[in-house]
Amino acid sequence: MTDGQRSPTSDGQIVVSGLTKQYKNVRAVNNLSFTVAPGRVTGFLGPNGAGKTTTLRMLLNLVTPTAGTATISGRRYADLTDPLRHVGAILEASSAHKGRTGVNHLRVICAAAGLPKSRADEALELVGLTPAAKRKFKGYSLGMKQRLGIAAAMLGDPRVLILDEPANGLDPEGIRWMRGFLKNLAHEGRTVLVSSHLLSEMQLLADDVVIIAAGQLVRQGPVEQVLGSMAQGAQVRVRTPQAEALTTALKAQSATVTTDEHGVLLVSGVDAPTIGKAALAAGVELHELTTERPDLERVFLELTAGKAGIR
Amino acid sequence: MNLVRSELLKIRTTNTWWIFALISLPLWALTLLFNWLQTDALTSTNPADVGDQSAQFEAAATPDAIASNLFTSGQFFGLMIIMLLGIIVVTSEFFHQTVTTTFLTNPHRTAVMIAKLVAASVLALLFWLVTTVFNLIAGSAVISAVGLDSQLGNDAAWRAIGLNLLAYLLWAVFGVGIGVLIRSQIGATVTGILLYLGGSIGAAVVIAVLANRWGDWINNLQLLVPSLASSLMVTGTDIPGNPPRWAGAAVLIGYAVVTGLVGSLLLRRRDIS
Repeated sequence: MTDGQRSPTSDGQIVVSGLTKQYKNVRAVNNLSFTVAPGRVTGFLGPNGAGKTTTLRMLLNLVTPTAGTATISGRRYADLTDPLRHVGAILEASSAHKGRTGVNHLRVICAAAGLPKSRADEALELVGLTPAAKRKFKGYSLGMKQRLGIAAAMLGDPRVLILDEPANGLDPEGIRWMRGFLKNLAHEGRTVLVSSHLLSEMQLLADDVVIIAAGQLVRQGPVEQVLGSMAQGAQVRVRTPQAEALTTALKAQSATVTTDEHGVLLVSGVDAPTIGKAALAAGVELHELTTERPDLERVFLELTAGKAGIR
Repeated sequence: MNLVRSELLKIRTTNTWWIFALISLPLWALTLLFNWLQTDALTSTNPADVGDQSAQFEAAATPDAIASNLFTSGQFFGLMIIMLLGIIVVTSEFFHQTVTTTFLTNPHRTAVMIAKLVAASVLALLFWLVTTVFNLIAGSAVISAVGLDSQLGNDAAWRAIGLNLLAYLLWAVFGVGIGVLIRSQIGATVTGILLYLGGSIGAAVVIAVLANRWGDWINNLQLLVPSLASSLMVTGTDIPGNPPRWAGAAVLIGYAVVTGLVGSLLLRRRDIS
C-alpha cells in the first residue's frame, strides 16, 4: 500500500465499473460504468432520483455497493493511505455542528487527518471566508456554508475533487465564483467531478459529461461530442412574410420544414447560407435567419426522456 | 491518536461539555446533602434499635462504608450525565450530518469508533476527577462534623473511589454504544435516561417484590441491572445479603464490552446517506 504501487497512468483518474446498489425495493444504481479524466471538469448529470448521490457515496466508501467497484487513482477510497490529501469531497452544504465556529470545524478535520492547524486558516482564505472564521456555523448563509464545504474539501490540497450539487442555493455571483474556481482547479491538472441538474450551468462549466438515468449510463464523453451526436437536431429558424414560397423552394433542396405556433419556419437538413441563397433566388424577403445549436438541456431531455422521475 | 485528538477537539469546540458540567454541579450537591443526612442518621442511631436489619445496618455504619459512600457522592447522577455525553459524542454527528465528513476523513470506521470511546472515557475521567476532589473536601468536612476521624487514609474508601472511576468509564462506553444503536439524538437521550432512572428504580422495586415472594436469592439479580451494579461496586464493604462488589464490576464490564462491540460492528456495516 505504498505510493510506489500506484500506477502513474491512473493517477487522479476515477474508474467506476459495473457499480450496482440494490435497496430493498429499488435498484438505485444498475451496472454503471464510466471513467473521469484528470485535468478536466466532468459534469455528472441525471434527473432527480437517477442515482447520482448514491454513486458518489459508493465512490467515497460511505455506501457499500451491492456489486461492482469504484476506484480513485486505481484504489478504493477505503484503501487510500491519506484520503484527504488525495480526494476532497463536498456532499451536503449543511454539514457542520451548528454551535461550532467555521475555523474550528476545519481544525477538527485537520486534527483527524494529521494536517497542520494552519491549513484551516489557509483554506478559509482560499474561499474568501476569513472574515467569518470565528462566527458560529448557524450564523452562516447558504452561500457561506457552501464555501466552508469547499474549504474543508481543499484542506489536504487534493488532486481529485468530488462535489454533489455544489451550486445549490448559491446566488448568481456565488455560482460564477464557483465556476471560475472549479475550472481553475481542473486547469491545474486536478480531477473535478461535479454532479448537478443545472444544465445551463453545466454547459458553461463542464468539459466532459456523464449522463445517467434510472441508475444506468445514458451517455458519456466530451460535451461537444455528446451535443454532436444529436447532429440532426441542428436547425435554422427563418422568419419571412412569404412562408409558402420559401417552403416550396427549400423542399426542392430536400430540406425538412416545419412551422411553429408563431408562423416561424424551423428548417433542418440544410444550413443557413443555403437557405439565404434559395430565398434570394426565389425573391423571398427574410426577417430572421438563425442557426440553433442543440444545447445540453435539449440533448439531456431527449436522452433521458421517459426514464426520469419516481421509481 | 490523531483521531482521538480530533474527537476531543470536537467536544471542546462546542457548548455541550460545560453545560453538562453545570447541570451536574447542583445534582452533585443534592446527593452530597442526602449522604450527609444519611451519615448523620447512621452515626447517631443505636444498632439495637433497628431490629432484624441490624447486621446490614452495622455494615453500613462502619467508617469504611461511610467514607466510601461520601467520597463517591454524586455517582448516581454523575453516571447518567456521563452516559448522556457518551450518547451525544455519537448522535451529534448524525444530528448535524458531520458523520459524512468524519468518515471521509478516516474511512476506517472501527478506528473512528475506538477514538470516540477513548474520547468519551477521557471526558469520564475528567468528570470523575473533579467530582472526587470535591468529594474529598466536602466529604471530609461531613466526616469531621459527625465526629469521626479523618478517613483520607482509609483503604476501603480509596478502593471505592477507584471502582467509582471504573463505573464512570464503563457508563461512558455504554453511552457511546447506545448512541450508535439509536442515531436519533432525542431518541437516544430519552431512552438512555429512561433506562437509567426507570431501570434502576423499577428494577429495585420489582426485585424487592420478587424477593419477598420467592426468597432472598432473587436479590442477587439486581446485579444484572447496570445502574444497581455500579452502585453496588462502590459500597466500600460487602453488605450482608448483597452480592459481592467484584460481581458488580464484572457485570458492568460485560455490558460495556457487548455495547462497544455491537456498536462497532453496526457502524462498520451501515450505509451513510
